[in-house]
Amino acid sequence: MVDTTKNTQIYATWGRKTAKPVNPKVAGKMISKAKRPLMVVGSEILKDDKLVEKTVAIAKKGVPVAATGHSITALVEKDIGAKYINVHSLGHYLGDKNWSGLDGKGPYDTIIFIGHKKYYLNQVLAGIKNFTDLKTIAIERHYMQNATLSFGNLKPEVHLEALDEIIENL
Amino acid sequence: MSDIETGQFSIDDLENVQITIGKIVGAIEKKAQEEGVEIGPTPKPGISGLRDWDYKLLSRYQPVYTPVCDQCCYCTFGKCDLSGNKEGACGINMEAHQARETLLRVITGAAAHAGHGRHILHHLIDLYGHDKPIDVGPSNLLAPNTQAVTGIRPETLGDLEEVMDYVEEQLTQLLATIHAGQEGAAIDFESKILHGGMLDHVGMEVSDLAQVSCLGMPKSDPEAPLVEIGMGCIDSSKPVLVVIGHNVAGVTNIMDYIHEHDLEDKMELAGLCCTAIDMTRYQTDQGQLPRAKVIGTLAKELKMIRSGVPDVIVVDEQCVRADVLDEAKKLSIPVITTNEKIMYGLPNRSEDKPEDIIEDLSTFKEPGALILDFDVLGEVAPELTLKMSKIRDEIGIKALPTDEELQELSEKCVQCGACELDCPDNLPIMEAMRAGVDNDFSKFEYLHDKCIACGRCDQACPKDIPVLNMIEKASQKLIREEKGFMRSGRGQISDPEIREEGVNLVLGTTPGIIAMVGCSNYPDGTKDLYSVADEMLKRNYIVVMSGCSAMDLGMYKNEDGETLYEKYPSKFLAGNLINVGSCVSNSHITGTAIKVAAIFAQRNVSGNYEEIADYITNRIGAVGVAWGAYSQKAASIASGCNRLGIPVVVGPHGSKYRRALIGKPYKEEDWKVYDARNGSEMPIPASPEFLLTTAESIEELLPMLAKNCIRPSDNSMGRMIKLTHYMELSQKYLGHMPEDWYKFVRTETDLPLAKREELLKMLEKDHGWEIDWKRKKILSGPTMKADVSAQPTNVKRLCKGEC
Ligand code: SF4
Ligand code: SF4
Ligand code: SF4
Repeated sequence: MVDTTKNTQIYATWGRKTAKPVNPKVAGKMISKAKRPLMVVGSEILKDDKLVEKTVAIAKKGVPVAATGHSITALVEKDIGAKYINVHSLGHYLGDKNWSGLDGKGPYDTIIFIGHKKYYLNQVLAGIKNFTDLKTIAIERHYMQNATLSFGNLKPEVHLEALDEIIENL
Repeated sequence: MSDIETGQFSIDDLENVQITIGKIVGAIEKKAQEEGVEIGPTPKPGISGLRDWDYKLLSRYQPVYTPVCDQCCYCTFGKCDLSGNKEGACGINMEAHQARETLLRVITGAAAHAGHGRHILHHLIDLYGHDKPIDVGPSNLLAPNTQAVTGIRPETLGDLEEVMDYVEEQLTQLLATIHAGQEGAAIDFESKILHGGMLDHVGMEVSDLAQVSCLGMPKSDPEAPLVEIGMGCIDSSKPVLVVIGHNVAGVTNIMDYIHEHDLEDKMELAGLCCTAIDMTRYQTDQGQLPRAKVIGTLAKELKMIRSGVPDVIVVDEQCVRADVLDEAKKLSIPVITTNEKIMYGLPNRSEDKPEDIIEDLSTFKEPGALILDFDVLGEVAPELTLKMSKIRDEIGIKALPTDEELQELSEKCVQCGACELDCPDNLPIMEAMRAGVDNDFSKFEYLHDKCIACGRCDQACPKDIPVLNMIEKASQKLIREEKGFMRSGRGQISDPEIREEGVNLVLGTTPGIIAMVGCSNYPDGTKDLYSVADEMLKRNYIVVMSGCSAMDLGMYKNEDGETLYEKYPSKFLAGNLINVGSCVSNSHITGTAIKVAAIFAQRNVSGNYEEIADYITNRIGAVGVAWGAYSQKAASIASGCNRLGIPVVVGPHGSKYRRALIGKPYKEEDWKVYDARNGSEMPIPASPEFLLTTAESIEELLPMLAKNCIRPSDNSMGRMIKLTHYMELSQKYLGHMPEDWYKFVRTETDLPLAKREELLKMLEKDHGWEIDWKRKKILSGPTMKADVSAQPTNVKRLCKGEC
């Protein structure tokens, strides 16, 4: 079991509410429990085939995928129904109760993030944190202080291990 | 109304009394009347003057707030926690506070340009007088932004003073609204942001019109010369004088001195940031060769200083690192500040004799000097450079670590990760250190292009490892090869050029203008700019560059060893690559759009901002890209584009501007306009989908650009061309057919010929459209009609029978 809750050093931005550090097991359980989860996958996954592999494995457990940036290039043929959307637009639409989602089935309740640039996702999450009631879980290599729950800052190999644990717990 | 004119006159009976008439109430209207120009409804609009227009834009493009900080610490009631959109002690909520924060950035940027404009205008009026004519090339519409906003049609430098008065007064009013206890509604802060952005383009325009008119800069010249660019083009065996900043006023005196004293071959004069661009524009309008070289952007400042190559550094204003003096001092490089905006605590030597200043700086009595007298500056800077070069050679300056030290420093690293966490791009520094232990420095080289030379890693390292110096040392070979060409700034697009190309832009047969502007805070290195520009140029878009982007584009070469400036022609025509000039030349990009409305479509421009903006919004497929936007100026430039309905995409770092303007394509009611022929409502495509947003990578950016050039006015040929690029770029960079492509189809002739059948089948199968297969015609399905004579407008009063 890896401990993904240790290094939660934040770096420049500040607020009273920061992400609760989470371990993979708990994160996995929460994703399983979600009624309408959405996994938002960024282009950083393309930097490591193993990340793509693990992302696809999570999706195959029944988590719908929004592919941001150009992550879709690695997901389009994986039979997981991934749909491209810009992450900034997605952040905007998620706050709209009238948005019917990428699949037309209505609003989401739990948003999972993987494969994003730290500084960029933290901004998108700042919008979601301050203006919506959504639960957000960052299973990233870096601590995302504006998520509801986040892994701490991890070495790449520990991150991969943690993702395996999530998959086991889904 | 009085018949007295502005100017000075004396009254005979009153001896020694001179009366100066500055402004006359109603003067704009009177002058316009005399010239037969119609003034629109909003000359010199105040803060609320264009509020209705702003509200229209903001109802389609909603502000998306992404706070950098959840607290407000503006006043001593606070600090207040605004998280969850809570209200602070003064009653302001998070949304309004974020809009206020954005407004502060925008007017800071606008003030930087306007301050620059006022400074250079004042300086040039001192030299050339109020009556010096504005001369910017073969145009009648000399100042499109100024005229659309203020109604003033400036003809001389003196006329520009009144324009600056207006801009400054409005900026003060806007700044006042940031005080605690002023505006409380986010939406009205938003309208103020757009107002600030609009003012910015006027301030920029004044700066560039003044300098182009007086300093012999290219005047709408498509053949503006090519200029050497890159750290590698500096001959460090000669004395090197480096200038940093944006305001070329004092630098021209240095250039004149070098020229007049035949020092051009004896020393190197090079610039960083936009001063560099403007130095290369100086006195080149008669075909003369540029008299300076360009090193690059803000991202090269620290690298250049730390290389130890400059013998003297001169700074003026804007985008100059705050630590230039400290960094330079370590390497015995004297620094001269020349502008009140940056003085670094240095003694004011403006009144002193050049030889005394040179003596004090060359004996290190003082690390630098403030010189506000440009004649003194003109002599001191080059003479000091010649002297310092010898002195520094004799001392033997050691700037970067040796190869041996590189390895030792790598060994010192304890792999704590502090540098990577602090690095704005989280670059893989630890990996480079690990490889460095085994004398493999290739991973440092990999970092070179991606590193923006901010120096934060150095500050973070608990072992005091000079990470940036290591990157620079390991990349010496790459740096030596950093030599390219940039086309010098050509100034505005002339009226005849607009006449030639306007129709293609409005009908869409030239698929769009991609304006690549802004600074060097790229998410993944400078080469991305080259890739984006090349792809869009190949596809016949007009690519317009300015400022730091214009420089970085010139750093890369294709397989044939050519930069894009050499590869593509530089007229205002499809498939051409243009550099308008420095940061203040960004006003020519919006100016171009205004000119299309005014010249091609014959819309009245004076004081008629709303109608012009409405025309541009619905007809001109232009998208701004500020891929490395970092500055407040970039925020104000983007906001000025936005008020004209021109969308802007910033790189991922741009999310830290805290607010975007993004529309909801799924909300059909938001995508309707009036047909001005009869006032009826007509649906339009959801493009542009945003006014300001971010993209994650250039692969995402490229299809976004093509899609967001689509406009309601496209004819079938135009729509077909734009749609083809959108689909092709999505397939090439995202590996899929975009989901929404069919929403832009109005008729079968909008579909690319080669793929028409295949696409018709998809429309039938996937979207249930009815197709007449015999005639290959769409029978039903599209929500929009293709009607080139429709007159799309967002403004009801512009419809027939409304006024
Ligand atoms: S301006 Fe308002 S929100 Fe900000 S610190 Fe003062 S009281 Fe608090
Ligand atoms: S100087 Fe370069 S490597 Fe260091 S923190 Fe800045 S961008 Fe990162
Ligand atoms: S901060 Fe210094 S010691 Fe720590 S990983 Fe970076 S270079 Fe090594």
